[in-house]
Amino acid sequence: MPDWFYYLLQQLLNGLTVGSTYALIAIGYTMVYGIIGMINFAHGEVYMIGSYIAFIVLAALALMGIESLPLLIIGALLVSMVVTSAYGYSIERVAYRPLRGGNRLIPLISAIGMSIFLQNLVRLAQGSRDIAMPNLVRGGLDIGPATGFHATLSYMQIIIFVVTLISMTLLTLFITRSRMGRACRACAEDLKMTNLLGINTNAIIALTFVIGAALAAVAGVLLGMYYGVINPYIGFMAGLKAFTAAVLGGIGSIPGAVLGGLLLGVAEAMTSGYFSAEYKDVVAFSVLILVLLFRPSGILGRPEVEKV
Amino acid sequence: MKKIHRKALSQFLAITTLAGASSLTLAADNIKIALAGPVTGPVAQYGDMQFTGANMAIEMINKAGGVNGAQLQGVVFDDACDPKQAVAVANRIVNEGISFVVGHLCSSSTQPATDIYEDEGILMVTPAATSPDITNRGYELVFRTIGLDSLQGPTAGKYIVEQVKPNKVAVIHDKQQYGEGIATAVRKELTEAGIEVPIFDGITAGDKNFSSLIARLRQSGVDFAYFGGYHPELGLILRQAREQGLNIPFMGPEGVGNSDISAIAGEAAEGMLVTLPKAFDEDPANAHLVEAFKERKQDPRGPFVFPSYAAVQVIADGIRLAGSDDPTKVAEALRSNTFDTPTGKLAFDEKGDLKDFNFVVYEWHADGSKTALTE
Amino acid sequence: MMRNLKPALISAVVVVILSGLLMGIRLSQQGTSLVLVGAGADVAVKIAGAALFIFLFNLFRDQLTALWLKVPALPRTPAAFSILAARPAAHRLFWCFLIAAALIWPFLTNRSNIDLATLVLIYVMLGLGLNIVVGLAGLLDLGYVGFYAVGAYTYALLAMYFGIGFWTGLVAAGAMAALFGFLLGFPVLRLRGDYLAIVTLGFGEIIRILLNNFTSLTNGPNGIGNIPKPELFGLEFSRRASEGAQTFHEFFGITFNSVHRVMFLYFLALLLVLLTLFVINRLLRMPVGRAWEALREDEVACRSLGINPTAVKLNAFTIGATFAGFAGCFFAARQGFISPESFTFIESAIILAIVVLGGMGSQLGVILAAIIMTLLPEVARQFDEYRMLLFGLLMVLMMIWRPQGLLPMKRPHMELRT
Repeated sequence: MPDWFYYLLQQLLNGLTVGSTYALIAIGYTMVYGIIGMINFAHGEVYMIGSYIAFIVLAALALMGIESLPLLIIGALLVSMVVTSAYGYSIERVAYRPLRGGNRLIPLISAIGMSIFLQNLVRLAQGSRDIAMPNLVRGGLDIGPATGFHATLSYMQIIIFVVTLISMTLLTLFITRSRMGRACRACAEDLKMTNLLGINTNAIIALTFVIGAALAAVAGVLLGMYYGVINPYIGFMAGLKAFTAAVLGGIGSIPGAVLGGLLLGVAEAMTSGYFSAEYKDVVAFSVLILVLLFRPSGILGRPEVEKV
Repeated sequence: MKKIHRKALSQFLAITTLAGASSLTLAADNIKIALAGPVTGPVAQYGDMQFTGANMAIEMINKAGGVNGAQLQGVVFDDACDPKQAVAVANRIVNEGISFVVGHLCSSSTQPATDIYEDEGILMVTPAATSPDITNRGYELVFRTIGLDSLQGPTAGKYIVEQVKPNKVAVIHDKQQYGEGIATAVRKELTEAGIEVPIFDGITAGDKNFSSLIARLRQSGVDFAYFGGYHPELGLILRQAREQGLNIPFMGPEGVGNSDISAIAGEAAEGMLVTLPKAFDEDPANAHLVEAFKERKQDPRGPFVFPSYAAVQVIADGIRLAGSDDPTKVAEALRSNTFDTPTGKLAFDEKGDLKDFNFVVYEWHADGSKTALTE
Repeated sequence: MMRNLKPALISAVVVVILSGLLMGIRLSQQGTSLVLVGAGADVAVKIAGAALFIFLFNLFRDQLTALWLKVPALPRTPAAFSILAARPAAHRLFWCFLIAAALIWPFLTNRSNIDLATLVLIYVMLGLGLNIVVGLAGLLDLGYVGFYAVGAYTYALLAMYFGIGFWTGLVAAGAMAALFGFLLGFPVLRLRGDYLAIVTLGFGEIIRILLNNFTSLTNGPNGIGNIPKPELFGLEFSRRASEGAQTFHEFFGITFNSVHRVMFLYFLALLLVLLTLFVINRLLRMPVGRAWEALREDEVACRSLGINPTAVKLNAFTIGATFAGFAGCFFAARQGFISPESFTFIESAIILAIVVLGGMGSQLGVILAAIIMTLLPEVARQFDEYRMLLFGLLMVLMMIWRPQGLLPMKRPHMELRT
């Protein structure tokens, strides 16, 4: 195989790694939007909080002398999922529930306020400096010839793929098989009707926020370990990108969010790999705008019918 | 209703005129120096360095009897490194009748402020803004006690050409004033020496994922890379480069010479090259100052501490030499004399820049320490 | 009360989960290693206090609600006053007072206050412009700062390459921003509200990134300096006149005082704001203004009445962008130097906050909010650490308690009396 093939493969792998974490965050946007039709602008900050909790837990576990990698990852995942779930729940309870049913702009503005609030809360509590953590997972696989260009796939990237895949599978099982999942889907179809049929829609909406937040925490743990650096400002851009991914795939659709995330990640990797890293973000937003122009409901989304 | 409004208005006016009057009650004997920099905002930690150095200088000079019988008095103004607040600060300084400024910190807030200072006859010495544009406009009252971006580039470029001798070099920057300026200067130096620069690209400051860029570096077969920017990005680039098996040496400007880069990049930081101003706090001649800083639990190591000290000192010495606190005369004195400061013997050229300010090339280590490679 | 025990306990536990790790433990970088630092006893006490407060609050929730209902409602504005305020003559008188105060004020205060007031006026202009888009037409535009940047760069670039003056630049900046508003609005305005918000955010970012990347044209991150200051009918406000020009003080035979220029900038900004107010008030009484508000209230109904929503939205978007262009041009002239870092998303958020805080659609509210938002950081510097935190909290609380803003919009209307 020639060099260009491995180069392409490398960029593809890089893109898919980032893309799968975008997908994890995007699911939070898409589920909330599917049920109550609002953009949870503060979702990116939940991801950032997940990263911080992961760092704290990893550092604490390391202090206790635990060195087994699976234990570290599972510990970080569990604790940060619990904490971010609490954040997801509280954000919904405090900032969105009182506003439900009014003008659509009002919850969105409240969400922007929430996002600014959380970002600054973490900045005050943890400082605005970058916090760095040493590499926990070292090494990787080389694909390709020993001489010339070869693609590398680090073990951390493999972990990201595997954990993402597991989370997605669990989510799909939950949504399609469980009673609660069915209630979630019913809410997405018709909130009022579901309520009339005796389902506690408030609890279901809260559950959606909790699930979204927990998945954002997974992304936070994985990306925190992958990059090894966090600061209070990482949530904004990540949230924006994930939202773009959700819209790209068709907001409201879970498979759409995954597809959108992967596509966006690959598009970014290809831009910086073949053109210029300077224009990575421009390409990401341009893709979003183009998709919205030609397919306003996204790739897998259903066209929305305006109800009177 | 009329009455209410008139009353409210008159009260409002009374308050504002009072506020105006209070600023007029200055002590006649003091020479005020405005210290303009970020007290708040994202770069406040650099502002701290500036205020630490400047306040120490003011205290030392006052302890030694002041200037021409008058005491110096520092007044802090916060511009948060925001260009629009910097203009407001400049107007406040004019308003308070202060004729000497030490600051500002960021080039982008220094530039609009200088327009006002030059116009109003206020002398400004910046200890930190390194953009060449600041002194390029023929202003008479603008000086600086730090080296320019355009100086650091050639130092790095020369070192690469003469000592490293690579075949192909990648030059990357963070698309900000500081980073891009230096990166452009380095590229110019390299291409003039006949070294190929196949990649010249910008990244987004604050980004975390550079894997695609690194794959491109690997593919292009460069054997050296220069990064113009700050430590968070270079730290991540080094870390991810090591991860992907790219083991070429990297070099950066003073913005990356921070112990945090070792925390971010870990072992990948070993062997990185960096151009820094001489470490003034390690100069034995400054031992008494370092002691004084330590006594107050202040950190003398920041890159702007001693240049700020020097900025206050040249203003004080300038006033002394001119025998007057008229900024125009002080500016003349600054241009025609040499000043002995903790950052060395300083002399200013026509533009207001230092005549020679040397950058030293250091090799960085994984534990955050460094060793000098050049004199 | 016992009924509330369980939820109260749960809320208290949630508070501990929320804050315990994130605030109780601090990550800190010491040298090259990462260490955990306990945040200290005071933080632990605070967390416990917050949890206890939430617990008690939820426990006695019903009692509190009952108490709250007993508290007499805030006295409404006295009837006499509101009748007076509703009378157009009183309304006009009030505005006259406001304008007169704004005109007299600079002569009574000092240079830095005038300069600060100029900054406030820039934000008033931006707020009023965004108010058309968000408050009146109900389109959430998160990339408004993009048009502000277009206006500022249009003037700066024209001045740099072609040496044009402020007044021509002002027209060009407004036109350019309008063109951008039109071109960007054309494709995206078919989108629904929240999609639109994100797309405009994307546009704002794209404009900033492009300004930053096109170094050959815009000087990139170095910004553009030496932007000429405005002049009054060819009279310059400087110590020495440039070639072939005359200065203000020479013409009027007064001694040079640099405060004149600051004052001139202030009056210019005031003029622009008044112009903006005038135009918007005229527009509001025209069919197009009515259509904006109708569209905000009910798009489907509008469509059935034969209003073309896209055209009306495009109008609002373009006109809003024009005012941002004017503001941008003035900003560039006031600064004398601009760089892309002045046009970030947070700037958009602040302008949006001004509109929201003031009360969407209300012009007096926007003016009041612009004053608050600009002066607050100046007055409360010691709280600066917490400024953005409170700012975010305020946005949330405003939406919950007073979504209509500080001074909600009142429109002239008739009421049927029985």
